[in-house]
Amino acid sequence: MHNIWLIAKREYLERIRTKAFLIATILIPLFMGVFVFGSGYLSSRTKSSAHIAIVSSDATFAADLKQELQTGKSSGMTVDLIHPSASGSDATRASLDTNLHGKSGDLTGYLWVTAPTQAGARPTFSYVPRSAGDITTEDTLSTAIKNVLTREGLTHQGMGASDIDALMAPVAIDTSKTGDSRAAFGAAYLLFFLMYMVIMLYGMNTARSIIEEKTSRVFEVMLSTIKPDEMLAGKILGVGAVGLTQIGVWMLAAAVLGSTSLATGLIGSGHAFISSVQIFFFVAYFIFGFLVYSSIAAALGAVTNSEQELQQLNMFLVVPLAFCFLMIFVIVKAPNSTLAQIVSLIPFCSPLLMNFRISLTTVPPWQIGLSFVLMSLTILAILWVASRIYRVGILMYGKKPSLPEILRWLKYS
Amino acid sequence: MPIVELHHVRKAYDTKIAVADLSFSIEPGSMFGLLGPNGSGKTSSIRMMIGITVPDSGTVSLFGQPFQRSLLHRIGYLPEERGLYKKMKVMDQLIFFGQLRGIDAATAGKRAHAWCEKLGISQSIHKKTEELSKGMQQKIQFISTLLHEPELIIMDEPFSGLDPVNATLLQDTLVDLRQQGRTILFSTHRMDQVEKLCDSICLIHNSHLVLSGSMRDIKSRYPVNHVRMNFTGNDSFLQHPAIAAAKNYSGHAEITLHNGADAQLLLAAAVQSGACITRFELMEPTLEDIFIEVVGGKVDA
Repeated sequence: MHNIWLIAKREYLERIRTKAFLIATILIPLFMGVFVFGSGYLSSRTKSSAHIAIVSSDATFAADLKQELQTGKSSGMTVDLIHPSASGSDATRASLDTNLHGKSGDLTGYLWVTAPTQAGARPTFSYVPRSAGDITTEDTLSTAIKNVLTREGLTHQGMGASDIDALMAPVAIDTSKTGDSRAAFGAAYLLFFLMYMVIMLYGMNTARSIIEEKTSRVFEVMLSTIKPDEMLAGKILGVGAVGLTQIGVWMLAAAVLGSTSLATGLIGSGHAFISSVQIFFFVAYFIFGFLVYSSIAAALGAVTNSEQELQQLNMFLVVPLAFCFLMIFVIVKAPNSTLAQIVSLIPFCSPLLMNFRISLTTVPPWQIGLSFVLMSLTILAILWVASRIYRVGILMYGKKPSLPEILRWLKYS
Repeated sequence: MPIVELHHVRKAYDTKIAVADLSFSIEPGSMFGLLGPNGSGKTSSIRMMIGITVPDSGTVSLFGQPFQRSLLHRIGYLPEERGLYKKMKVMDQLIFFGQLRGIDAATAGKRAHAWCEKLGISQSIHKKTEELSKGMQQKIQFISTLLHEPELIIMDEPFSGLDPVNATLLQDTLVDLRQQGRTILFSTHRMDQVEKLCDSICLIHNSHLVLSGSMRDIKSRYPVNHVRMNFTGNDSFLQHPAIAAAKNYSGHAEITLHNGADAQLLLAAAVQSGACITRFELMEPTLEDIFIEVVGGKVDA
């Protein structure tokens, strides 16, 4: 026990003194916060500011559409109206095309409205953009056209303008009971990303630290006094403690910031940004998730000789984590669906997905309990294998072992 | 009671036999040399003595007891592959290794300072290990093996990679330690070091034991029939009937006499033949001579 403590203490102190630790502590949440809230802010606040031309023979419709596009809820476009000259619609089109293809042209695209051939039918629309991938402008256009057509239709039915405005006003949904759902999603997303980062980071750190001892041959000195299992245990505990410290700093900062009026102002509701329950489960799932992934990483570190070789094998860490990433889209929509329940119970995914579900909804306690039981069993199984690979692997240098060789190591020790 | 006793120890890795049926014992307070060319099984034998690997068959006893891990605190081990934590400061590192071997931080610190003073590296103790030269790192590793004042010191190739000044410094330190009553085992492929330092040796070749015993015993088994001569002038005396083999390196002759031949007669003959002799030395065979004689020169290193 004393030896494990010494190894863990050394590992912890050496890591926590590095600049990398300080930088990661500050930058990771900053980066994550900017990413999660920044992308949300951008998509909700930015209006499409494209400059387009509308070619239409129906002047009323064109003016209405221009009005909608320039002052509508989600767009602030600049719109030119062009009346196609009866003689040369081809000439108009050609000059617009020249503008689009020329470098000096200022148009984002143009909308060509062809009047309906029979009365009462809808006109047909064709949009020619400068960039083939400009989905945003196209979406904005289609929404605006629909709104204008709806207004026109309602006017035809004899409804007054003020009635139409009232009918088409945006609906406000009161979510003050559960907090702003956008903020809740943001927080859950942020926690998911943080968990992903720390598990990945500290899993890899465990492997790196083993490789460092292998390449510097320190372990041979160590093995003359302590057992490989003690080294492995000390290493995992030490690196894990660094991770916990980092998370502790983050959570403390979140709690302090969350209690200030600034945060309340930003989120716009009285609910705490990250609740103490979320913090509790984040820490608990980090501990278990770290143990799962760092024991895999320890085995990887023991069979490799250099960081480069480790890079080739780190898919064993990345693939399960990437799978979790795909699953969040399923879980966001229906956090209690059968699929969500199953994937969040997979021990490799529980730290990310069960924790994510807990942030979003009320998860039955038995599922939370079961996830911890399954993770504990997995950790024991992986550690059993990893410590055997480690015991033999750290004394082997030179050639990277083949799979049959690794299996033979399991039998040896 | 021998400090270390190996009894018919054998170790194989897959198909390669690293150590085959090795037996020897080391008496307390002696300096023991484990000799052999590269790849002969020295490191494998040492690793089994300190429990890094377990012998396939045979037994290892330490301090008169069957091997058990609790005895490892009484041993200091310097591996051939030097290993230190590169980013750690020298003093932190020494204290850490001291603590791992069971002494408290304060004692480790005090002893580390004393040792650094003795080996002339005390100005570097607050530097990071990676900033030091290789020789200095080796001294630090050397110190880290001795901090817990082990009764048995095992060093695998302790002098390799050191300049002559530092190699001598470490040799002298080992001699001091032996005088304090510690038992020292070191492995090397340099016969001259062993010849100078060791009380007894064990010579292995191709994982087999070739020779073992005290230096005196081994040497007395071989006749004193080697002559080294420096001379100028006539070299016809090299045809003298007492000579079994002779090599003449332009005035420096290495001569092996027939068993029982009298070296004095050779000297007289040489003087008579008119050679001017500046050196005539009758020597016991060097360890190197014995080694070459025993393994018959088939050293495939």
